[in-house]
Amino acid sequence: MKTSLSPAQLDALEAELDAIRAEITADLGERDAAYIRRIVRVARWNAIAGRGLLMFGFTPISWLAGTSALALAKILENMEIGHNVLHGQYDWMNDPSLDSQTYEWDNVCDSGDWRHSHNVLHHTHTNILGKDRDVGYGVMRVSDAQGWSPAHLFQPISNVALSLLFQWGVGLHDLDVPRNLATPEGRREMRARSGPFLRKAARQLFKDYVFFPAIALGNAPRVLLGNLSANLTRNVWTNVIIFCGHFPDGARFYTEEETANETRGEWYIRQIEGSANIEGRRWFHILSGHLSHQIEHHLFPDLPAHRYPEIAPRVRAVCEKYGLRYNTGSFWRQYGSVLTGLVRRSLPTSKRPQPVAA
Amino acid sequence: MLEPAKQAASRLLASSWLRPLNDLDALDDLLAPWHPTAALGRIKARVVEIRQETPDVRSFHLSPNWRWPGFAAGQHMSVALESRGVRHHRTFSLSSAPCDRWLRLTVKRRPGGRVSNAMHDRLGVGDVLELSAPSGRFVLPEALPEKLLMLSAGSGITPLMSMLRDVRRRDPGRDVVFVHVCRTLRDAVFATELEGLAACMRALRLVTHVSAERGRLDADGIAARVPDHAERTTWLCGPPAFMEAVHARWQAEGLAERLACEHFGDLVPNRRAAGAPLEVRATRSQRCFTTTGERPLLVEAERAGLTPRYGCRMGICHTCRCRMTSGSVEDLRTGERCSEPGQWIQLCVSRARSDLELEL
Repeated sequence: MKTSLSPAQLDALEAELDAIRAEITADLGERDAAYIRRIVRVARWNAIAGRGLLMFGFTPISWLAGTSALALAKILENMEIGHNVLHGQYDWMNDPSLDSQTYEWDNVCDSGDWRHSHNVLHHTHTNILGKDRDVGYGVMRVSDAQGWSPAHLFQPISNVALSLLFQWGVGLHDLDVPRNLATPEGRREMRARSGPFLRKAARQLFKDYVFFPAIALGNAPRVLLGNLSANLTRNVWTNVIIFCGHFPDGARFYTEEETANETRGEWYIRQIEGSANIEGRRWFHILSGHLSHQIEHHLFPDLPAHRYPEIAPRVRAVCEKYGLRYNTGSFWRQYGSVLTGLVRRSLPTSKRPQPVAA
Repeated sequence: MLEPAKQAASRLLASSWLRPLNDLDALDDLLAPWHPTAALGRIKARVVEIRQETPDVRSFHLSPNWRWPGFAAGQHMSVALESRGVRHHRTFSLSSAPCDRWLRLTVKRRPGGRVSNAMHDRLGVGDVLELSAPSGRFVLPEALPEKLLMLSAGSGITPLMSMLRDVRRRDPGRDVVFVHVCRTLRDAVFATELEGLAACMRALRLVTHVSAERGRLDADGIAARVPDHAERTTWLCGPPAFMEAVHARWQAEGLAERLACEHFGDLVPNRRAAGAPLEVRATRSQRCFTTTGERPLLVEAERAGLTPRYGCRMGICHTCRCRMTSGSVEDLRTGERCSEPGQWIQLCVSRARSDLELEL
């Protein structure tokens, strides 16, 4: 990997980051258990309140309140609970209801598919072109190093569509549809592996658009519309947060050759330079599942996420010490940069990207 | 007619299509603030009384919720207790009889024992424990034998106490010899209770052997103090060495069929000299392999022909996660040791530090 650090510096960087990890691991305890259980409770009560208001209310205000509560429940469940539990962040608690291998989250993506496409592929091969399918999700051009095709002309529009339907993109992600659709073998493999996704999607559709509307009897349309809006809200929110993780300006992408025979220290550097943080208040971090601390998350994906703000200053200091860019900014700056990048890269790159001034 | 209908109904109620309405875990959590032992699925029990039996043994009397299915004298169950955010499970035999009002857990404080110490130090009246359903075949038969012998040493007395109390209810006149070995008189658990039982069970003979005064009680000693042991059906529970000695003697006398045993206590992991091969037992695949403890367990398992699931091979994705039932491992990244039975380990970043048993 191209880095200006000497092997000795790389080892020192590795040791410093390992030490942060070891310190947090040794300190895990009641506080972390209480935190995640509190979030679980808040998410559950919001879901109950939201579904209750949709089912039994009859004014537009109660519809809006119900939809908001349900959207909040889904966002918390997907981001701060589901994503983090599925990373194994709480496996140490030995609590079967927070177990990474059996947890099933409230969206159309099967948890098993997710653990493969996200925990294994994305977190191991972060930002390696050709290996990390999260680089543009096979449909977007988010790096100048990706080839251009005429379809990319529409990406400012398709981005809106993708964000509205984001859970479906996530659900289909492990099946690698864009690549597999191209060949007969790919299509066969996709069919063979589509079972978990189809079952999960059917259950989710049944729950939100058949079961809950049906038990609301006369209020069925109101419930159906509320559930749909809550799902869409969650979709847009997760899409926006996730795009801010690796696609703002300055996030580095890598080739397979560059990263062959990487040391653990170099892997750490790739996680730092390939990720971007978003600054915000505590509620914002919680609603983003602490993906706003994408750099810390990529360094230590299996540490309980609510610890990221606590270690962020130390990670940042390590970055400064070794001259690594710690990409962070306000939400609007980071997301603005994602959007302008998407628009800019919808056109073929005319000139080589300018080297970033040191 | 009724049974299949019942089964179909319970299958329907547990169906994933009814989620989240039938998520019992979630419902139990929502019920907890309303009443501490209210639950639809889990067995919870409230501590109603605590009694100090000896300086390092305490009995916890528990009132279980409606999910408790009842038990047979001599059975054990698993108790979940949280300490520093980690849920630990330990198996205990009940020392109460099924006819008693409360369940009774009798727990000895073990030096360094996370759960026993937490129970002694922090568990108070009103606290709630989560239990598993009872299990175990170390029980009394439907028809009691003419003559019984109950042999226990140390904490092994708990299931036998349960049985003796059960015998008293079923037939107070039954001929029972109850032998208990303890280190000192101060360590004699249930001494008063046993005397009380002897007062109302006329054919009960109590033999208490204090090993600090009279030396270890070996199998010959037992045979000498219970001359008619060959005529008795025997129940045995105690530390491994004690049990092995009795078992060998009973076998030699051709009495093995009339002996029921209950093992308890932690099997101490064998720590061997560095470099010596360690044995890893994979319980799911019923395979065994050896490792020198240098390479990660994932690599060693694969070399032995096993095919564990894996992903990143560097400790981040948790795909190769596996439960360690016994033994001790070291995290290759942090050097941290883990010897907690039942803990999850990641095969790709763990190496063996003792003989292991893995759910693999």
